[in-house]
Amino acid sequence: MSTTTAQAAVAPVAPATGRVRAYFAPVNRSAGTPTIFDPAQLGSFDLDTPPSPWADLGWISKFVRKCGTKVDPLRAGAPAITVAQVRAEVEAAISFEFESWGKLQATLASGSQQTNLLTTASSATANGSGGVAAAPISLVTGSGPPSTASSLNVGATAALGFSIGSLVAVDIDYTGQLGYVGTGVSTAYVQSASAVGGDVNYIRRVTLNAGVVVGIDSGVLTLASPLQAGTPTEGMKVSRLVGFCDREGASFFQEWSALFAIEGAQGDRILYHYPRLQTMQGSAEAVGALAAPLESIRLAAAFRALPVKDANDGETVVCFRSYLPAALRNV
Amino acid sequence: MQNAKDTFYTMLQGRLAMLNPSRTIVVRGVARPGTLVEENELPTASVPVDTFRLQWTKLQVNSVSPLPQVAMECSIQYATDGTSGQGSMDRGRLLAAMDAELASALAAEPRSEQKMNYSGASVGVAPAAMGTNVFWSDPVFGAAAVLDERLERTATVQVYSHQEAGEL
Repeated sequence: MSTTTAQAAVAPVAPATGRVRAYFAPVNRSAGTPTIFDPAQLGSFDLDTPPSPWADLGWISKFVRKCGTKVDPLRAGAPAITVAQVRAEVEAAISFEFESWGKLQATLASGSQQTNLLTTASSATANGSGGVAAAPISLVTGSGPPSTASSLNVGATAALGFSIGSLVAVDIDYTGQLGYVGTGVSTAYVQSASAVGGDVNYIRRVTLNAGVVVGIDSGVLTLASPLQAGTPTEGMKVSRLVGFCDREGASFFQEWSALFAIEGAQGDRILYHYPRLQTMQGSAEAVGALAAPLESIRLAAAFRALPVKDANDGETVVCFRSYLPAALRNV
Repeated sequence: MQNAKDTFYTMLQGRLAMLNPSRTIVVRGVARPGTLVEENELPTASVPVDTFRLQWTKLQVNSVSPLPQVAMECSIQYATDGTSGQGSMDRGRLLAAMDAELASALAAEPRSEQKMNYSGASVGVAPAAMGTNVFWSDPVFGAAAVLDERLERTATVQVYSHQEAGEL
């Protein structure tokens, strides 16, 4: 029989931390199903390598949770006295600032769909979110290595049109699809083909499946990081882009599953999981002070939490807060 | 509190030595990484250059926590005269290198270290691991001071720890 020496547990102290890390996962908008994070199974993950399908949004600052839940008293008698309480309204919102300004962060903070500024066709008519795009490049199959989430085989000839640092969007052609579009993440809602002008590049215009080229070899473009939607599927094409654009007044509501992790200095961890978040403001920035006249500009975001049902008891909730104590802490 | 001081010093010395193994100092005839705690050395008026010198200055104790929280200010001084081969014209670059090494060592993950008790440690006897962690703030870098050909800077770091039951 093996024995272990008993050790004294340490008193639990308030977590101390200076930073909050944010993670993104898609909501299947067509099915209305969010990505659920299970803290019992995955809560201790390495913050630098979140479990699939969670994507790292980097550090955030000024993370504020606002509880709008109203608890009303139920009174009886004369004089009236509170005999019970009832939750009259459940509401939760969060706000924060992104410390990095990437495609995913800008999209979430934009408040609506974000468009990729696709490289335009020659003589394209000027348009606020980018003119008619140049013809896309097909991915090569059957010759050379197959494309993967982080390498795109466009063929030697087409590769001449790219250079190190080129930004690319990878997605299928628009062929009249209605409803939510965007591979991997629903990034826009198409009400009618005529609304998007039948633009064959429309899905690549709104997709989150984008990356930056860091290597070109024998017709294969190597990307800095894997595409959001993973290995390209048949029919996906590549469009070059120069940047991103969002529009105040656009109608689409982004919805995403969110996870926020706070690592305590004692090895403990707080996790906030919002399975469904939708923006509650338009695109905004927060200005950070540097030596005048310089300012740093951060993406400011605010979201309202939408409900899900907890499979354990059927309760309708909007947020899960989990706490993982450090080793050998009294509870 | 001494355990927290020792732990922070050992952590910082190790991280700085990993970043720049060639930054060494000879103390009482022994070559060692170029980081020292002044209160642990013989008093001297001379300032060792190209070395990080730690001084423990302010102290604050918050007794409200279940384990009293201790905040100590660590003042880290470092200076360089440049190299004679360069006629000291590289002193700015050498100070910048020390700035970068210190900033990198303190910003590296993890930003905490398990507190160790070194009182019983000696050659062949490891320090005893304690139950809580020591953690620290970002450094605040002071202005560079010019003393003839010497460039000197002081950075301050707040070092936090919890006093464990029975710990002095």
